[in-house]
Amino acid sequence: MDELRSLESFIRLTLKRHGVIASNIANVETPGYRARDLRFRVQLEDEMLKLKVTDPKHIRPAEINTSALVEVAEDRAWKDLNNVELDREVTKMIENSILFQAGINLLSSKIRMFKNALRR
Amino acid sequence: MEISALFKVIASALEAQRKRMNVIVSNMANAHTTRTAGGGPYRRKDVVFVPEEVVEGDETLSGVRMLQVVEDPSPFKVIYNPGHPDADSNGYVRLPNVDVLEEMVNMMMSLRSYEASISALNTYKGMLMKTLEIGR
Repeated sequence: MDELRSLESFIRLTLKRHGVIASNIANVETPGYRARDLRFRVQLEDEMLKLKVTDPKHIRPAEINTSALVEVAEDRAWKDLNNVELDREVTKMIENSILFQAGINLLSSKIRMFKNALRR
Repeated sequence: MEISALFKVIASALEAQRKRMNVIVSNMANAHTTRTAGGGPYRRKDVVFVPEEVVEGDETLSGVRMLQVVEDPSPFKVIYNPGHPDADSNGYVRLPNVDVLEEMVNMMMSLRSYEASISALNTYKGMLMKTLEIGR
């Protein structure tokens, strides 16, 4: 059942990230707005791999913090200090929705497997 | 995750861009207006956007809001046309400080970001519909 949990939090993360991306798109022309992103890949690996620590010499998994909002560092040479790039945000949005689809598909197939097991 | 917060963000973006489009269209319509109620030629108008926090549980999303419409203080264009009814005693006419090319560029940018928000809306809708199909 652990996979269901981690898949659930993965799907939750992609939804959250979509919110952050939509915020960036909404503020594409707001002076002084800094683009943000959700730190994601690291969390994903932490969630999925769940490193076991049975010896003090083992690598410890990084802290899981789902709301790690980061500002995008790149600057565009623009007078209003806004660094939202519309194409970058749309690309991120598409990438994110594919990840979301993958999460949903995995979760669905997991559930189907449980259903099959129950039927035998 | 609260569902409606993201809809609010996207709606705010669509509204802001639509208002901006109205201002741009007014500017273009009045590109040659030499007489206004306040006297003098039409002054180009611009919009000011500010981020607007949409609080959602433990995190905040940023919507956008049109704070105000401001007037462009740049100088008017002056042309020599003694036959114009609004020409001064030397025959010069002051025209609005509207650059139609600039307005067109702004309009395209506004349109693009409107479209991007629509596509964010459709993606979000698709994602939510997908979650209803989990386990089917």
